[in-house]
Amino acid sequence: MKITLLALAIGGLTAAMPAVADEALPSNLLYDAGKEKKTVWPLPVKNSGELKYNEHRQDLSKWPTLSYEDKRPTKKAEKVELQGPLNGNAENGKKLAMNTQRGNCWACHALPGDVQPGSGGPPLLNVGTWGYSDAHMYQQIWDRRVANPGTEMPPFGTNGVLSDQDIRDIVAFLQSLN
Amino acid sequence: MKTSARIAAIALSGLALSLGAHAEEVYRDMTPYIDYGSKPRASDDARHTNTYQYWKDNARIDPQRASSATQFWTVNWKYKDPPFNDTLHGGHDAQDRGAELYRQLNADGRFAACLGAKKGELKGLRLQYPQYRKDMQRVVGLEAMIEHCADKQGMKLVNGSYDNSAVSVYITAFSNGMPIRIDVSKGPLKESFENGKKLFHTKAGWTNFSCATCHVSVVGKNLRGQTPTTHYGDVAHWPTWRSKDELQSLHVRFTECNRNSGVQPLQIGSKEYTDIEVFMTALSNGYPVVNPSQRD
Repeated sequence: MKITLLALAIGGLTAAMPAVADEALPSNLLYDAGKEKKTVWPLPVKNSGELKYNEHRQDLSKWPTLSYEDKRPTKKAEKVELQGPLNGNAENGKKLAMNTQRGNCWACHALPGDVQPGSGGPPLLNVGTWGYSDAHMYQQIWDRRVANPGTEMPPFGTNGVLSDQDIRDIVAFLQSLN
Repeated sequence: MKTSARIAAIALSGLALSLGAHAEEVYRDMTPYIDYGSKPRASDDARHTNTYQYWKDNARIDPQRASSATQFWTVNWKYKDPPFNDTLHGGHDAQDRGAELYRQLNADGRFAACLGAKKGELKGLRLQYPQYRKDMQRVVGLEAMIEHCADKQGMKLVNGSYDNSAVSVYITAFSNGMPIRIDVSKGPLKESFENGKKLFHTKAGWTNFSCATCHVSVVGKNLRGQTPTTHYGDVAHWPTWRSKDELQSLHVRFTECNRNSGVQPLQIGSKEYTDIEVFMTALSNGYPVVNPSQRD
């Protein structure tokens, strides 16, 4: 058990750190080291030959980019195993699922209470009645590529977007939908 | 279930990959290619989303389809172009501004010559771009060239800025109705096209999305309030006036696409964005230029 916890700790650490901590980032990113969120975006200003750069809400340079200089690979699919009680907070899971900067599940999946349901993935309005185990749902959210290598669903766990507890909370929320 | 929460994360393979990141060809997940053929055209969309039939002719867009919540995406936003949309908008302001700047820049005729206009003729000039410039040793889009040539005239028109795009709108409007015809079958443009095609399908960002995730895999599906459309026939109206009150060049739009999909944006005029521009321009071959233009 200590060994598996250590593996999780290492996995969590690498996910949270910039993948190229000891290397320079690609030179052609819209990146401002002086800004808190680092990632910036260009805003054309009327009747001006200059661009204004605004800070993005999130530092996106931590993940692989489309720059030809970027030597960071896509992280391979991670198989994870949920054991023990779920201990998820469904209420918090709902907040995470409907937060566009975290789970953002509702971008693709219909969820209760959303007047603009996404249809990129299957509707999850009653997913709690489908008979999926907690462990299955946990794996799907952590990294669905294990089950379907060509999936378009983000690998939330592998890419360090959602933590172990975040995913437990979302599983609890999904299991509550009936 | 046991009382202790325990997770066996197979993180070692990922770690090993991170450490071995200096390998020549770095592994990236890809969205599978569709058949782009060797001479892509806008009409090839017929074997992709098969919506080409609904947007190939601006004058014959079905108003019912365009206003249908479930079908509007099949019109590929072309109902925003004339004659369906005959309103005055910010794109026309930009055209006026571009005309004024062009007069200043081209007082001695050198600006037009620098852009490649023969005898100052602007009609058809847009269709020469993107092009490979031997003197610059790279492929450039029209907006990159406007920046380059304005600089020679002592005017700073940063690629992506309002004034740069305004000059581009002014120039592009002379090619209204002329079908796009970029040859990507040989030389540097072919290389650029192939690179752009690969980038378009390369996954990146926290989402592990590629451009093709939205425009190939889930095209036509709802992403809450948005419905991604085909990537065919899309460059004909750039730069465009976004009704959120912003004049955008294609590259500025790319930075917004990237952010919306959780991917770090790149610099305007970068080789990467230029390659995607070449790729998308080829996918608009045969479709007529429309400018000034407006989009949501």
